[in-house]
Amino acid sequence: MRVRITSAKALIAASALVVLAACGSGGSSSSSGSAAPAGAPIRGGNLVFDALQDAQSMNNTTVFDNNSIWIFEQIFQPLYTVTNNGKGVEPWLATSYTMSPDKKSYTFKLRPGVKFSNGKPMTSADVKFSIDQDRKAKGGWDFLDLAIASVDDPSPGTVVIHLKYPWAPLLADLSIFANGIVPNNYDGQTEAQFYTHPIGTGPFMWDYWHKGQALKLVRNPYYWQRGKPYLNSVTWEDVPSDNTRELNLKGGQAQIDQTPAWSTVDSLKTTPGVTMSLFPSTQTNYLAFNEHRKPFGDVHVRRAISFAINRAALVKAVLFGNGKPANSLLPPQVPFYQAATQGLQFDLTAAKAEMAKSSVPHGFSTEIIVPSGNSDYITIATILQAELKPLGIKLNISELDPNTVNNDEQHFKYDMVLTLWTMDIPDPDELTYFAVDPQGGASSFFTFYNNPTVVKDTVAAEKTTDPAARQSFYNVVQADAAADAFMAFLYYSPYPYASTSNVHGFFVTPLGNMHMEDVWLSK
Amino acid sequence: MTFVFQRLLMLIPVAIGVTIVVFFMIHLIPGDPASTILGIHATPKAVAFLHHEWGLDRPLVSQYWLFMDRLVHGNLGQSLYYSAPAASIIATRIPATLWLLVYAVILAIAISVPLAMIAASRKDGVRDHVVRAVPLVGLGMPPFWLAILLIYAFAITVHWFPTSGYGAGFFGHLHSMFLPALVVAIALAPVVIRALRASMLNVLGAEYITTAKSKGVPAPRLFLRHVLRNAVIPAVTVLGINIGFLIGGTVIIENVFAIPGIGQLMISSIFQRDFPVVQGVTLVFGVLVVMVNLLADLSYAALDPRVRFDR
Amino acid sequence: MSAISADGLMAVERQVAPRSVRRWYRQPALAFGVVLLGLIVIAAVLGPLLSPYNPITQNLGQTLLGPSAHHLVGTDQLGRDTFTRLLYGLRNDLRIAFLAVVSPFCIGVVLGSISGYFGGWVDAVIMRLVDIVVAFPFYVLVIALVFVLGPGQRSIYIAITLVGWVSYARIIRSEILVAKRQDYVLAAQSGGLSAVRIMARHLLPNVVSQAIIYGMSDIVQDILAIVALGYFGLGIPPPTPDLGSMINDGQNFMTTHWQLTTFPGLVVVLVGLSLSLIGDGLADIIRPGQA
Repeated sequence: MRVRITSAKALIAASALVVLAACGSGGSSSSSGSAAPAGAPIRGGNLVFDALQDAQSMNNTTVFDNNSIWIFEQIFQPLYTVTNNGKGVEPWLATSYTMSPDKKSYTFKLRPGVKFSNGKPMTSADVKFSIDQDRKAKGGWDFLDLAIASVDDPSPGTVVIHLKYPWAPLLADLSIFANGIVPNNYDGQTEAQFYTHPIGTGPFMWDYWHKGQALKLVRNPYYWQRGKPYLNSVTWEDVPSDNTRELNLKGGQAQIDQTPAWSTVDSLKTTPGVTMSLFPSTQTNYLAFNEHRKPFGDVHVRRAISFAINRAALVKAVLFGNGKPANSLLPPQVPFYQAATQGLQFDLTAAKAEMAKSSVPHGFSTEIIVPSGNSDYITIATILQAELKPLGIKLNISELDPNTVNNDEQHFKYDMVLTLWTMDIPDPDELTYFAVDPQGGASSFFTFYNNPTVVKDTVAAEKTTDPAARQSFYNVVQADAAADAFMAFLYYSPYPYASTSNVHGFFVTPLGNMHMEDVWLSK
Repeated sequence: MTFVFQRLLMLIPVAIGVTIVVFFMIHLIPGDPASTILGIHATPKAVAFLHHEWGLDRPLVSQYWLFMDRLVHGNLGQSLYYSAPAASIIATRIPATLWLLVYAVILAIAISVPLAMIAASRKDGVRDHVVRAVPLVGLGMPPFWLAILLIYAFAITVHWFPTSGYGAGFFGHLHSMFLPALVVAIALAPVVIRALRASMLNVLGAEYITTAKSKGVPAPRLFLRHVLRNAVIPAVTVLGINIGFLIGGTVIIENVFAIPGIGQLMISSIFQRDFPVVQGVTLVFGVLVVMVNLLADLSYAALDPRVRFDR
Repeated sequence: MSAISADGLMAVERQVAPRSVRRWYRQPALAFGVVLLGLIVIAAVLGPLLSPYNPITQNLGQTLLGPSAHHLVGTDQLGRDTFTRLLYGLRNDLRIAFLAVVSPFCIGVVLGSISGYFGGWVDAVIMRLVDIVVAFPFYVLVIALVFVLGPGQRSIYIAITLVGWVSYARIIRSEILVAKRQDYVLAAQSGGLSAVRIMARHLLPNVVSQAIIYGMSDIVQDILAIVALGYFGLGIPPPTPDLGSMINDGQNFMTTHWQLTTFPGLVVVLVGLSLSLIGDGLADIIRPGQA
């Protein structure tokens, strides 16, 4: 029952559990106990979803918080949606598109018969308004739409998007919740008013939000997928305590437990009446080095540390075996992930050799900042402390409250920090732009990493639409980033969800998207 | 009346001092609400944009004036986390906290009255010593530890009460909030028992009781009609004086039991660095404590006229 | 939430009829408290001798063992001996709690004496400061201050000092208000003794006992505060053993290893009980008018 109130996004270093952060992350493919279909879906029933923390806001263009995102994704839908394997997109509110020969304009056909939950039909004017709103969302998700020059609505069923330059990730960008469709002019309300009781085309519509307690959505009677949603309602309850969520699940007060503690995953797998699912995700955990702090500007020091980390031991101690050691900046569920990139894996001899070549062959003293109360991160730091000792590195663990850790990381006031990333779009660009491009606004994941080759290939991969060419650019990026060890890539972890065994059709994509319209409850 | 007026007048510097402490203490907390909102996306540009939106890029003193200016107009500002008025967010959380407080006080009295009567009825006897010593155990109990044990015993082992939450409707609250209120009451009871016992002994020694006894008034009636009625005032005063501790305890209990009160809101808002909400909640706590203290003071003064001259 | 606000309580009790002073050993409760505290302090002091284990060294091959001859209370999730950690946790928490009362006690006694003796604007200023601090619920202020200062022992001392002095100041002030009208003080004043001398020589020895009695319950309260901060992840940083974080870490294993959470809490309860019994018993002996 640790207080885990940090916002999800805090993720950075923050509550590892919580975190799936900032990105509407997701993961897919099924898992150990994914609910097997038990006959034909039954209509009806109310599902209670125990979430780690309250949502923050329903404004899909400015919010980075996963607990909000996962809820409003049931209300707002984009033109294209992420496929279940998380690597591509499929038509959703649009049915098809055509690209101009110069690759700078896309014409979309909208799905006929789509209505908002107030009964009004969705038209191209709504789409234009929605995407224009996101492009204006400063400090929000506007950065994903930077390549868009303008949006036209020549007829009610057609939308044309004009680009400033050819832009490979366009469909991926359009599949994000931030480009979800809201009614034109917010149905006559102000933006602030609208988002207190939002209207969309999704399977569920607004009922109430008692902040700090629960948020309830009910069936949208005008939903365009025939027969769906199956459930009458979904209620997200705010239950910060791991224990309480587990007890609510076992007691039948809730049907889905978001993020059970890793220490309980094994016992939940064998608990009768409970389905424990581990959905492959795009979550990757990293150890970041601040290159402006000595001696981390020295590539040999970074490589030495990266070699010294026994990732399999971390997976065992932190995730109780439910994850995989990381080899690349990108996780396996992202397109263009290169499994052949070895990365720097555990090799104490190599680590010592790197140290000998470095500016500090006899070791040094340094500090890692860890969010207090985050037992996963504290465990990692404690293990690192022991593993770096043979290199002569004395690691001090400094526990700070989660918000302070984030803040120190973002102001470069750290030597080493634990951090993580989850994808929001089925394209590596969002991560590579952020993590290795110093122009990406975050000085390369707040590390000051700057390798001109890596930057050049990252930019080139955005501007070509040829998948083979993009793959070769991303191979270079992944290999060089690993060799430079600007961060030590630690492990990939799945999304753990526990549900009662009468829940069927529940699935989470590697980006974290959930299609609650597919979920049903058996008796 | 002059005494009352003086006490109210003295509240003005206290109120101003409280706002200064609240404002500056909260802004001294390291960290940044923009980190909460943006998470890993907190690039310097995005952070600067939010700071400007929120007015956090202005000097602290001018932010304080703005805060005071809004405050006198009854405006606590916008929650940075929820982007909604802080006052309305706090208002929706107050009922749960009041429920917990009142419920706990009622339970504490229900525990204390019979025990104090037992102790007072045989002063210095074995029962007296036991009754006085055993509740002291409650004083040293970490509230969240007791809460965990009670949840384990009464919500998991036997399913008498829910493990957490506030419940729905009057009886739902009554049911869900029993364990949380009991935890608070157990910490409170020793103090109330002591005060009740002391004042009961005092009353028992009074002449009218001796007279009543000699007239043959039955013991139970004597206790209820005369002793308890007169003894309860000091106990209430003690409760009033302890309101600060009482409220502080609810902060922890609300978090353990996931009760959506202002204590839980305060902790989550501190973690999120939602300054306007933390300021608002702390002010609400302050107003509550000051008012109850004032009432306790006044009732105490009414009880013991000497106090007036001392102050 | 140890809820003793001693000043108010004493004021109420003071109205009660006087009774004869008793010897401490004639009071079973006080005697029991003294013996209990003695045992606890001995266990804390001799802790390192009582256990062959190191409280911090992890043994990942021996995690979550049940009680046995080797591990009296079993081991925790990192394979550390729970009994050893109880002893060291007790030691740390007791030390911090006792040290933490020293400065609020001194500051409170000095300011309370000045306020009570001189009255006037000095009194008004000090009392308004007291009112401001008192307007914040104890835990609210301590938690907020520790956030400002960052987790750790130093922050605990500072936060408890900033919040704790007011109770001592109030107690001493109200005692001095009464005592300064006593004949011996009036005599000293007319004899031309300096204010400092009167306070130090005549007033304080007579009134400080009340503050000491309150100090007993204050230590209990501070232990609870330290433990509560541990619950919010703001207490003594790991791996240093601390009863609060032991309770907190253990609760995930409540259904399978109940001893991990239950025993650290019991230790806190015993400490609290012994100090409360002593405080209560002392109050009976020292206070002139007490039931």
